[in-house]
Amino acid sequence: MIPPALRATNLTRSFGQTRALDEVYFEIPKGEVVSLVGPSGCGKSTLLRTLLWLDPPDEGFVEVGGQYLGRERIGAVVRNQTRRQIDRIRPRIGMVYQSLNLWPHLTARENVERPQRVVASKSAAQARATADGLFERLQIGGLAGRRPSELSGGQKQRVAIARALAMEPEIMLFDEPTSALDPELVGEVLALLRDFAATGMTMMVVTHELAFARDVASRLMFMDRGRIVADGPPARVISDRSNPRVAEFFDRVTAFHPAFRAEPIPKETTP
Amino acid sequence: MALDLSVITDNIPLFLEGAWMTLRIAAAAFVAGMAIGTLAAVASLSGIAPLRWLVAGYIAIMRGIPFIVLLFLIHYGLPAAGIRNPALVNGIAALSLFAGAYYTEIIRACVRALPKGQWESARAIGMSPFAAARIVIVPQILAPMVPPVVNCTMTMIKESSVISSITVAELTFSGLVVQGNTFAPFEVFIAVALLYWLICGLFATAARAFESRLAGTRRNRGLTPLVGRYLILEGRRT
Repeated sequence: MIPPALRATNLTRSFGQTRALDEVYFEIPKGEVVSLVGPSGCGKSTLLRTLLWLDPPDEGFVEVGGQYLGRERIGAVVRNQTRRQIDRIRPRIGMVYQSLNLWPHLTARENVERPQRVVASKSAAQARATADGLFERLQIGGLAGRRPSELSGGQKQRVAIARALAMEPEIMLFDEPTSALDPELVGEVLALLRDFAATGMTMMVVTHELAFARDVASRLMFMDRGRIVADGPPARVISDRSNPRVAEFFDRVTAFHPAFRAEPIPKETTP
Repeated sequence: MALDLSVITDNIPLFLEGAWMTLRIAAAAFVAGMAIGTLAAVASLSGIAPLRWLVAGYIAIMRGIPFIVLLFLIHYGLPAAGIRNPALVNGIAALSLFAGAYYTEIIRACVRALPKGQWESARAIGMSPFAAARIVIVPQILAPMVPPVVNCTMTMIKESSVISSITVAELTFSGLVVQGNTFAPFEVFIAVALLYWLICGLFATAARAFESRLAGTRRNRGLTPLVGRYLILEGRRT
């Protein structure tokens, strides 16, 4: 059996009285494109940080391609991994941050090559070949020698994507990939993500672009107050009225974008 | 009253010897202080609470007591506890501890000023803390560190004159010796002042050269590949 690309088990994280994550369970099989939607402050960002073990949860487990990250369970024994173990597994999750977090003192090429050299111990030639291939694929081939400050927002984002892809991750996480972009670039990035989806890349995308969640993603997870309250095919989650929070959220969206639900959405019976 | 310049010219070797000693003390304290500062800053940023408190205590003490008191504590206090070192060693130790506290604050502030995502993105991609510091953090803090480090180091060089009070033969001490021989304090301390001014000036010039080398890499990228990595963030320093 192929292990899922990403599995979260019972992730729970409290900040004082508030529960940022409340018993979050999910499994993302290879090749699935999941969009994570929810009102702001619902715990989406905390979830992403927790999945990377940047913000270790109070309880629960993260597994990447069948390997535990951060905390492992062998039989009945639960123990925290060493820093080295965590460092070894982390690159298997590719993360594209909302603020990109490119390293401004390095060129685009170095941003992509340095982690490969240091973390994956690739040779200079291998790292360069990977970087060049990705830049070509992402259509920023001529910009490799520039620094992030000399690139446009869309170009920077492609460098950030290349940096994550260069580590050959099991799954790519995108934190609101369109929020920092000019409106005209949004379509471009969504098209890029659509291409990735077509090549079978496993992705989890935190997004406010509901059209993307509806049309490109194969699955929609809706988060509210630290819980995943709805999870399923996008069309069903959007049209489902059984959960008042989800229905309210999409009603409000529909109020501003009347066309959003107008298209025929195949009705399915809720299980 | 006329200045008798022969007082100065006759004693040039003594003055130069003192200046040379001051230079060496300052250099040693700079290196040791930077080492202390780096370690203490790392300890303070590590998130381990007891280490953070330790560093906070160290900085509070160093900033809260006069340098001469620290010097006396080390030079006269430690022997009482059975730890005897030459005056020169005690002087350098005191100066290093003193400067180290300020360097700690500078390094810590520069690291704190970087967006948190810089460190996190390096760690999340699998870099060890050491690799993340070496590749992502240090190259970005070098340039903003220069001006405050220059300030602090010039203060430290001047403060080193206090070490004369524990009989270390540095510049101020040689001034006192010459003055004792010649009874011409005005001439002597004009010479001493000029030499301090010269040492500080040399240091400031060197620092400015280093700084413009860091900044210059942005203009002539490719000319200095080694320093090329240490360039400044767009708009960070204006």
